Amino acid sequence: MADSASGSAADKSVQVKLVLLGEAAVGKSSVVLRFVSNEFQPNKEPTIGAAFLTQKCRLEDRILRYEIWDTAGQERFHSLAPMYYRNAQAAVVVYDVTKASSLEKAKSWVKELQRQANPNIVIALAGNKVDLVQSSASSSSAASPPESEDEADDATATPGETPGAAGEPESLRQVPREEAQAYATEAGLLFFETSAKTGEGIVDIFTEIAKKIPIEHILASTRGNAGRPGAGGSRAEGTRQQAVNLEEDPNKAKDACNC
Amino acid sequence: MSISTALRHFKEPTKEELTQIFFSLPPTSGVPKSDNSSDEDVEKMEINAVLSVGEAEDSYAGKLHIMPPYLAFSSLDRKSVRFTIPLSTIRRVERLNARAGVYALSLLTWHGMKIIVQLTSLRPTADLFCSLLRDALKVELQRGQMKLVKGFVKTCYSELLISETSNAGDNEHEDGSLITDEKSGSRQEVSYHGGLGLKFKFPGDPKKLREGSKIKLWTTYLKTHGRNLTLLRYPQCTRLVQVGLPNRLRGEMWETLSGSIYLRFANPGYYERLLEEHKGRTTTSTDDIEKDLHRSLPEYAGYQSEDGINALRRVLRAYSFMNPELGYCQAMNILAAAILIYMSEEQAFWLLEVLCGRLLPGYYAPSMHGTLLDQRVFESLVQRYLPIIHDHFQAVDVQLSVASLPWFLSLYINSMPMVFAFRIVDCFFCMGPKVLFQVGLAILKINGEQLLQIQDDGGFLNLMRDYFASLGESAHPSSSDPRARAITVFQELLLVSFREFSIITDEIILSERKRFRSEIIHSIESFARRGAVRNLRTLGRFNKEQAGLIYDALYKAMCIVPPPPATAPPPTLLTTADGHHEERPETRIGLRTFRYFLSEIATWARDDKIVMNGFQQRLDREVAEHEFIDRLFYFWDTGCHGALSFQDLVSGLDGVMFNDLMDNIEWFFNLHDKNKDGFLTKDEVLTLSETFLFIFRYEIGDAYLGAVSRFMTNAFEYGDALLPQPEQSKSKDSNTEPESPPPVSSNQPYLNLATFRMVVLAEEVLESFFETDLSESFKLEHLPEMDLPLANSGILGDLWSSIATDSNKKIFNMFTDEIGKTIGKHQARLPPSDIHPGLN
Ligand SMILES: Nc1nc2c(ncn2[C@@H]2O[C@H](COP(=O)(O)OP(=O)(O)OP(=O)(O)O)[C@@H](O)[C@H]2O)c(=O)[nH]1
Ligand SMILES: [Mg+2]
Repeated sequence: MADSASGSAADKSVQVKLVLLGEAAVGKSSVVLRFVSNEFQPNKEPTIGAAFLTQKCRLEDRILRYEIWDTAGQERFHSLAPMYYRNAQAAVVVYDVTKASSLEKAKSWVKELQRQANPNIVIALAGNKVDLVQSSASSSSAASPPESEDEADDATATPGETPGAAGEPESLRQVPREEAQAYATEAGLLFFETSAKTGEGIVDIFTEIAKKIPIEHILASTRGNAGRPGAGGSRAEGTRQQAVNLEEDPNKAKDACNC
Repeated sequence: MSISTALRHFKEPTKEELTQIFFSLPPTSGVPKSDNSSDEDVEKMEINAVLSVGEAEDSYAGKLHIMPPYLAFSSLDRKSVRFTIPLSTIRRVERLNARAGVYALSLLTWHGMKIIVQLTSLRPTADLFCSLLRDALKVELQRGQMKLVKGFVKTCYSELLISETSNAGDNEHEDGSLITDEKSGSRQEVSYHGGLGLKFKFPGDPKKLREGSKIKLWTTYLKTHGRNLTLLRYPQCTRLVQVGLPNRLRGEMWETLSGSIYLRFANPGYYERLLEEHKGRTTTSTDDIEKDLHRSLPEYAGYQSEDGINALRRVLRAYSFMNPELGYCQAMNILAAAILIYMSEEQAFWLLEVLCGRLLPGYYAPSMHGTLLDQRVFESLVQRYLPIIHDHFQAVDVQLSVASLPWFLSLYINSMPMVFAFRIVDCFFCMGPKVLFQVGLAILKINGEQLLQIQDDGGFLNLMRDYFASLGESAHPSSSDPRARAITVFQELLLVSFREFSIITDEIILSERKRFRSEIIHSIESFARRGAVRNLRTLGRFNKEQAGLIYDALYKAMCIVPPPPATAPPPTLLTTADGHHEERPETRIGLRTFRYFLSEIATWARDDKIVMNGFQQRLDREVAEHEFIDRLFYFWDTGCHGALSFQDLVSGLDGVMFNDLMDNIEWFFNLHDKNKDGFLTKDEVLTLSETFLFIFRYEIGDAYLGAVSRFMTNAFEYGDALLPQPEQSKSKDSNTEPESPPPVSSNQPYLNLATFRMVVLAEEVLESFFETDLSESFKLEHLPEMDLPLANSGILGDLWSSIATDSNKKIFNMFTDEIGKTIGKHQARLPPSDIHPGLN
């Protein structure tokens, strides 16, 4: 298993538990799939409970091993979420730029994380499905003209949206970038607009999180904990960790991760 | 924020309900009644009996039940043999020639199967049973049910399979899907119900699945043991199910084994009508359904076609309309998509009802309490039967549920390759929900050694994923014995499930659920409480703990006076400004619930009496009713909803509980200034005085009374004096007759805040009321734990909880009071002013 592999390179690799939260069908699983296997499946099954995936990431001379928990989005699964975000060192809260309500839901997730989760958790806000609001000409990463396959899955991705607006994709947008950005700044979150479909912005989320994570501290607590990721340690020593974080951060921020 | 007290209304099933559940009967209540189903009180009875059919089977002793419109039997061990058949399928009942002391009946089904039951109870009991049976059969005949049977069974594939002239196999592919004659386009007319598999093929390799031989075995069995409505379940039936149902028969067997066939039989046309009635309707549930339609077993060909998607849409929509409280929960799409491969929409609809209602109770409810409960039960079973694994999980802080929750929630369909998951589903419908636990335990046991190596949740999930991917491989690849090599990992799994974990019985599951229910309810409720407090827009000057206490009072009030169900407002109302639907609209309470709420918090909003009757001393609390309380309700309803949310209550209380003297006077003034013009009218001054009297109603002595009456005199004096007096005509009377003040029209501004303040401050009693007493009359206290639906321990606890509905408690109290009176020990008194000892 992959576990043992990373275990042998123990001194250089660090495990980071990351959880994805957000309203149903905003594209959490798709974001993870893009990050982990650089794929996109137009019809992903809804996540039941949660899915678990891992991906390694290089940051300077360190290997970061993300353990990703992709949770179910429907409101009634909410009470299960703490099971998955406990001990998480990072969270990606996803909303759908074509659905205003999903930002509201994202905000309430952020609030919950900030109050209930690991006090030093690094949170990123991701406005997904930007491909839907970019006219194909200006779309940076998906330069190809819309294929028929894409059209079909656009329709399924945002049911109820009038496809008539296809000529002016920007009109599909319900969450202005500035609004989300302002909120993220105010709440102290990393912010990205992404598309799991085109791949835009996906890797950046994980890279930026990696830079912000207090790696030294995790390493310290992991070693002291017989290879266990952050479990007890990070919470108990929360205050000390903050101090470490402030010093370590700039140094770590140089390199992008190499996924 | 929505607050639900639904969990408080849970009741453990009665013995009678357990019997119904055991025999897969439709519940007597809750399920939609079709127009022609009899609802009159029918007499039920059970009797000792010995069952035999033909020569093929042994006789089995057991119990025969008449539960109109069904006749049911189970062998003494409750598992070898059983049947549930609608009475309308019985065509003749004969008393067999009485040998000495033998009392036997021969029941002839519509298709000529003879069921012999020997009634082994005493003669009068047997006679009574026979007469009940006769009456019940007559009722069925009169209801016309008998005539419906023949038409109904035409929808069942089994009938085609066993008919002598059958050429059922002729137009089928090997996997059981239909061969369509492309050239003539003459798709053979299909009268029986079937699923998408007929058109889009069934999953799996038919050769490997040995479809042909399975069909043969079943054909033989069904010929001699009845089928669909009349299936008799002998040990061989279970064995055949365990090796996997054949594709073509699977859907029908699922509905037969689960009992959903009885619902379909009893409610002809209901499904279509339901869809018709709600045509074009959109709700939160239907929105959620739309999101998931293309995300349900997308790899199956049927769901890459509009046929499949539309069928799935209709079934899920119909279910959400029938059960709006549950609506739609993700994972139901997976179940529905799975069963639709094998059955028609109507069949799937009723099977979904049985799944969500009886087989997986509370799994998909908004709180998902059933899911959480069964996860807890599963964990405790692991602890009991696989203690080493459990301890290891504890030691490395791995949560079982991260893997097992989806197993249960999607009947393993989401976790394993479909062909294997469907085999588990076969067993699940045949042997009941305990199968989920047995399989789960077997998975852990088989992987025990590796599980002891894992260090975290992730390792656990990876291990499980690898295991599920290997189900089709040989369990003993390196064995020298070719037979051992041929055993697959999956076969081994079933073997371990049903051999080693046959100790897991329905009774164990039920009693474990009972054991953990209150724990789960508590944790769901405290989670909801935390969420509600967190989601408040503003706490005002309260801290979180205080807001929690307000929540508790609200919650208690809602339990006792449930607010009217948040009737789904018309779709347009549900749509908020930005065009989205709220999952659940914000919970708001009406005036009646509010009165109860306030009585928990404000001393003057309740009338307490301490009652002693020689048996018990208790505090009887009545909720006060007064115009003032209603006034407060509307005062706090700043959004004009006619109802108050949690936030309204918090903000409302915040507006009074932290006030100083001047704030309080102003608050009180505003409360009575209905049109908010800064003046009280004369009527309002009167009302306000009445409020004083109401609040002071338990104060002893006449200091308060005196203060209030002086307040009134002064208020009117100042008020009159300050009245504008431009009109001569009016002032005439008033000047001459100081005793009768000038007629003031009811809505004329009369007393302003400054004057009011002055008048109040002139009275010491009132001053101190506004200085401290008013704010202090609101108290946030920890409420005693409310009784949960079931008591956990103690004989007294049990007794109390068995009478513990509110009305029963009242009756009990009245009863003891009466006795108390007769023995001269009854007395009731007011509690010491404003201090309420926490008596029970
Ligand atoms: N156009 C477009 N569609 C997307 C994008 N990301 C996801 N989708 C589509 O949106 C739908 C939902 O995606 P999922 O990844 O399953 O969403 P989720 O948030 O994991 O949903 P739950 O598991 O139900 O909470 C799928 O049909 C995806 O194909 C994107 O970036 N662009
Ligand atoms: Mg998902």
